[in-house]
Amino acid sequence: MENILKVRQTLMNSIFEVFERMFYVFLEPAESRPDGEHSYRAAISFSGPLMGELRAFFSRPLAEAMLRNMLNVGGNEINERLMSDCLKEAVNMICGNFLGKHDSGQVFDLSIPTYDSGLQVDDIKAATDFGALRLDFSGGEGSLIMVMMTFSGRDLSVG
Amino acid sequence: MSFNVLIVDDSNAMRAVIKKIIAMSGFKMDECWEAGSGKEALETLSHAWVDVIISDINMPEMNGLELVGRLKSDELYKEIPVIMVSTEGSAARVREAFVQGAQGFIKKPFLPEDLRKALYEVIGVGTDGEYTEGTTNADELDF
Repeated sequence: MENILKVRQTLMNSIFEVFERMFYVFLEPAESRPDGEHSYRAAISFSGPLMGELRAFFSRPLAEAMLRNMLNVGGNEINERLMSDCLKEAVNMICGNFLGKHDSGQVFDLSIPTYDSGLQVDDIKAATDFGALRLDFSGGEGSLIMVMMTFSGRDLSVG
Repeated sequence: MSFNVLIVDDSNAMRAVIKKIIAMSGFKMDECWEAGSGKEALETLSHAWVDVIISDINMPEMNGLELVGRLKSDELYKEIPVIMVSTEGSAARVREAFVQGAQGFIKKPFLPEDLRKALYEVIGVGTDGEYTEGTTNADELDF
């Protein structure tokens, strides 16, 4: 239990650090929100002493705020390619940051991140069945759901 | 004095951010070349004069560590300083990058001043653009 709480806190700190430094977005822990708001998913897997996958689900207002703050683009300038690049980079940074904090003495290999858009409620429900971190942006204007699954035999589910 | 920079990252967005941060940092940049992989970086180097390379590690086709290895084994390119920019900031990963031949390492997410400091250090110039005898990040590492 203590281990799970430590992992959860470490992941939370990594999310805050990446969002604040790279996207100038300040998130806060949130209550459960309708999953249908989260249209975009970015995921990355990692291997090494700990193996698993990190999946992030973004609402459109949050994704747009990230792009706006990162690249000064908005409205018609936002396209699928930019959205994909931005959200994949976010999950890449969060994962690398988390693993460095989790065990800085070890080398982990990260996969090339993947991206999906147009998600349905069922896609998100299936991914979050085992627990997830839910974070709000700007008082609920946008939100993020983060899921980490590990395949090392140890249960490090963050929910 | 201003310098030509090659940014190597498979993310268009990240290349744009790095370019923006270099401009914000006050570093004197002339040409800015971009490549989406180590392979593309080598193609760019065949026709462009580059003073410093900023490269991601985790990329398809040819990753950043393979790129540094190729550059350091090539007489034509081995003197070009390379700064690795990566999310993978473990001590072991940083050491691996320096052993391959990188001169600087910045962990993402980073601040503009981190990048400016690394750029001036690996090129060996002071913040006024004049050459100095300053140490590189690699020199400061205790292997």
